[in-house]
Amino acid sequence: MSRTSYSATSSAPLSVWDAINPVRMLGELSETRYWMYVLLLPSALLITAVVLYPTLYGMQMSFREMRLNRPDLGTDWVGSKHYARMLADPIFWVSLRNTAVWATSSIVLEFVIGLIAALALNRNLPGTKMLAVVILLPYFLPNVVAGHMWALMLDPRLGVINDVLVRLGWLDSYKAWFADPATAMAAAIVVETWHSFPFFTLLIMAGLKSIPSDLYKAADIDGAGPLAQLRLITLPMLKTIIAAAVILRVIGLVNSPDLLLILTSGGPGRSTQVLSLYAFQMAYKDFNFGYAGALSVVMFVLLMGFAYIYIRLAKVNQD
Amino acid sequence: MPQAAFAQSKSINYWHTFTSQSEQAGLDEVMKLFAAAHPDISVTPENIPNPEFMAKITAAVVANTRPSVTMVSSERFRDLLAMGALSDMTDRIQSWERRADFADQRFDSITADGKIYGVPGFAFVDWMYYRKDWFEEAGIAVPTTLAEMYDAAVKLTDAGANRYGFGLRGGPGGQYTILNIMEAFGSPVLHEDGSTGLDRDKAIEGIKYFADMAKNAAPPSAPNDGFRQIIEGFQTGQTAMISHHTGSYQDIASKLKPGVEFGTMAIPAGPAKRVARLAYAYNSITKPEDADAAWEWIKFWGEPDAAVAFLEKTGYFPASTTAAQDERIGGNPMYAAASETLGFGIPQPSFPGAAGWAESTVLPAFQRVLIGEATPEQAVDEMIAGLAEATS
Repeated sequence: MSRTSYSATSSAPLSVWDAINPVRMLGELSETRYWMYVLLLPSALLITAVVLYPTLYGMQMSFREMRLNRPDLGTDWVGSKHYARMLADPIFWVSLRNTAVWATSSIVLEFVIGLIAALALNRNLPGTKMLAVVILLPYFLPNVVAGHMWALMLDPRLGVINDVLVRLGWLDSYKAWFADPATAMAAAIVVETWHSFPFFTLLIMAGLKSIPSDLYKAADIDGAGPLAQLRLITLPMLKTIIAAAVILRVIGLVNSPDLLLILTSGGPGRSTQVLSLYAFQMAYKDFNFGYAGALSVVMFVLLMGFAYIYIRLAKVNQD
Repeated sequence: MPQAAFAQSKSINYWHTFTSQSEQAGLDEVMKLFAAAHPDISVTPENIPNPEFMAKITAAVVANTRPSVTMVSSERFRDLLAMGALSDMTDRIQSWERRADFADQRFDSITADGKIYGVPGFAFVDWMYYRKDWFEEAGIAVPTTLAEMYDAAVKLTDAGANRYGFGLRGGPGGQYTILNIMEAFGSPVLHEDGSTGLDRDKAIEGIKYFADMAKNAAPPSAPNDGFRQIIEGFQTGQTAMISHHTGSYQDIASKLKPGVEFGTMAIPAGPAKRVARLAYAYNSITKPEDADAAWEWIKFWGEPDAAVAFLEKTGYFPASTTAAQDERIGGNPMYAAASETLGFGIPQPSFPGAAGWAESTVLPAFQRVLIGEATPEQAVDEMIAGLAEATS
């Protein structure tokens, strides 16, 4: 006599095999409200492995002593030691201020130039397709290449830009742009703007294509000029795209030290030192991964806060 | 059988920091000689730029994707050893047939607790390049002290004509010259008993001297000038003197005529000491699995033919005493200053955290003096505080 068991949902007796058959069990589960959790499981595991774990690991690192060149210090839990040090660290505050200047100035310039370029390219005049490709070229260059290229162009001995400015009479002699604290950050922002404004151009152009032309025709009939159309139609219709672009670029600007590393290494003095560069130097020059982790956590919190406030202020979710 | 030969071949990769064309040409030459001597071993060189070197090697060690062989400079040795990047090579080196070609002190900067972790591939011999034609035209003797060097630099400076007496490296890599100057004024950072610390007053004197040099005899770009900029400044006739090592000789000789337009001189003496670094680029095994093939590559750099071929392409001095006695070196008067430096040169100070402190604290502090943000006293106090932080 074979052994039988009974399922909760059926009155018919099941054989042992039926009772443990995974296909049958999955089939039954798929009829329940728990099925969605099963479907989400692979994605959840993947996200945990590649996003959550590294993030949490980085965060816990900021509460530990972790100096690769000082194994004698161990990796003990040090609580908020690194955060307390940060508050008293003048380089952190200088870096924070410079990060704000670097990100804000770059974003404003990139957005304005990107918007103008996108509006110009959207007019579908002859040659605009070719021009669109040319305008996008800087964005395709890696930061390292763009950085070295501009370092040469702005070189105080051989730089073509100095040569042009002297010939135009705008400068008396060649200027060492990155050696003067008054111009180093500005010069770096120019390079960054040149490199990344096409990102805004690209996204805004995509957004412009989706705005119905009827809106502009109606505005024309109502007597609205180009500026009024820009203010009342174009910008509001692009609000979501602009918000996404700004957030992505701010994250990129705050997190990427490579351009400044190549152009100035944070100098002269600390005049172009930003948080990401400081964290990089802490990790890979001083090997103090604990303090670098704390700096990274602060950047993470600042960026989360910025994104939240910006989305609230831009009222993106209210459409 | 071809299959058998193929099965015995071994591939290794070599991380190095060569950047200039002459350095690359030198490496190519050594590889060509090695390929002829060891057809069973193929070497894949990978250039890791200096600014990114520590980040890359740290990541490789942590992720266990290490290169077979890595070029290790003496100031990075302690940090790399502490993170477990290097393999003990003592037994291999002691039984090496060319061991006697290398004086014991060549290994000092790569030895810890009696264990040796690398073999010197070539030497960095600090010296100076000067515009011989300008000095002769102005009737100035080649300086032998830092005071004379300052006077000569000021005399040769004509800012209106964009001509300056000294190409001061105040940007990337300049931290080591700053340390040298402070030591020349009596403030070494690493003491004979192994302790670290700066003599505040002497260090301030050194910083004042160097800041005055920047103010009165260096191009305005000095706070951001790195290797490329000081070499270009000298090559293009902007500066009269620069301090570097013999490795830039061929690059400079490609633009200026040796012995006519430019000459070489030993580093002038400071009030307390004559400080010229005599350091070595070591080749170390960083991937134990490839140790046998890696060792063949590492020891090949000690062969006189390889060392002299590398010198002829680059200017880097051989680390091997036998190779350094080659007529092609001794018979060239341009190398006399380097030979002189071999007699008094000293190694870079090396202790855990040294490289990071020098780059992240010493250099920015000095730059702040150059741009008027800090006094020499404040800069030295910043260095002292940073040193305490780095070594605590």
